[in-house]
Amino acid sequence: MKMKLGAALAFLSIAAAAPAFAHHSFAAEFDDKKPIKLRGKVTKLEFINPHSWIHIDVKNPDGTVTNWAVEGGSPNALFRLGFTRDALPIGTEILVDGYQSKDGSNRAVGKDLTFTDGRRLFLGGSAPGAQGDAPEEKK
Amino acid sequence: MNRSSNRRVRGWFGVLILIMTLGAALPAAAQTSVLSKPAPAENRDTWTPQRTPDGQPDLQGVWTNASSIPMERPKNLGAKEFYTPQEAAVFGKEGYRGDRAPLPEAHYDMSQFGIDPMQAKFAPNLRTSLIIGPDGRIPPMLPEAVKRNGDRAAKAKGHDFDGPENRPLQERCIVWAAEGPPMLPSTYNNNLEIVQGPGYVAILSEMIHDVRLIPLDGRPHVSPDIRLWRGDSRGHWEGGTLVVDTTNFTDQTPFHGSSKNLHVIERFTRTSKDTIVYEFTLDDSSTWVRPWTAQLVMGPASGGIFEYACHEGNYGIANSLSAARAEEKKSN
Repeated sequence: MKMKLGAALAFLSIAAAAPAFAHHSFAAEFDDKKPIKLRGKVTKLEFINPHSWIHIDVKNPDGTVTNWAVEGGSPNALFRLGFTRDALPIGTEILVDGYQSKDGSNRAVGKDLTFTDGRRLFLGGSAPGAQGDAPEEKK
Repeated sequence: MNRSSNRRVRGWFGVLILIMTLGAALPAAAQTSVLSKPAPAENRDTWTPQRTPDGQPDLQGVWTNASSIPMERPKNLGAKEFYTPQEAAVFGKEGYRGDRAPLPEAHYDMSQFGIDPMQAKFAPNLRTSLIIGPDGRIPPMLPEAVKRNGDRAAKAKGHDFDGPENRPLQERCIVWAAEGPPMLPSTYNNNLEIVQGPGYVAILSEMIHDVRLIPLDGRPHVSPDIRLWRGDSRGHWEGGTLVVDTTNFTDQTPFHGSSKNLHVIERFTRTSKDTIVYEFTLDDSSTWVRPWTAQLVMGPASGGIFEYACHEGNYGIANSLSAARAEEKKSN
């Protein structure tokens, strides 16, 4: 196997020496040499741990439609930013700026996800009334 | 200030930094209320914790141990154990992240996904490193430990995508490395809930799913023949401090290169309504030339502990293996 030594050893050899690990290795799954821009309508939102997945229908230049799955952050972290599973109705059009999966399937990780008016998907009050992790008032 | 940048500074540490950075731009009352807050350690001898119905000092609640303080002190700081508030403010302006450089392989915009450390809520702490004392560094490793870790890495090299068993425990949703012991912050969701009942303290970590059940009845550790991912913990009270002694680790969960002989002693002390000082000492005569001690401060987390259910959507492991197979096919 010609795989690079990846995150597998992070736990085994250095553990919390570099505590900024995520749940899994992004480089193992997605290809930073395959940047991708997608525009499409949401068909499904999986608000599941360890990572959320947003499915969108993308219209191709030839008129056909391809369903893409886009990986997002941990729902728990997103929830604390004010984003809930009800914050992205089916049919909403979004823009994805990300990287395609290494196996060439129609999966991508969303680096930036925005609404068509430029608002960022996970920030900016997508969920009216939801509270982020703001500091509590000192008593 | 737009909403996005507002969120970046809303942690306690961020608020402290913002106040010190912008100074007079903020009302005097706000400056006083934050800056006059005593450092947690100063309260240690005067704070009288509430008691649980069975008489334990009350540590209960939902806490965060988020921190941007590096485990080891940057070498250029020498024996300097604490920053001044002014120095901390400078780091705040620069987006101080301690030893948590942005994930080099993350394809995310960090702030959009709540992974930017400055989006977290930190308890105030001016330490330059979690490791206490003039050295502030992990002690040198013994030759046998260097060899052990080297051998392990050499054995795993090139095989890390062979199959699911080769993937890290956290990716397999088995244990989260930072949940310890020692219990340390990671990139996000650094939340834990402490619940106390007669004879037990339970600590629920949000990441992955684990609950540590710590008996307080003085029972001995389990047999040395039994090894556990997170070791075997026993607790007792020393005044207002919960002392937890953990042994019986496996050799598959090394902490900074530790062995299965790792012995962790943790000390949880509630020093104010909003503060738990968490200190741990690591002793492993098979790994380091001497024991070492680190300390961090926990503060209250708003909201609750949310279900993590790691296996529920763990597509990452299958996708990583699928990517590895595709790469192999390409190179053949």
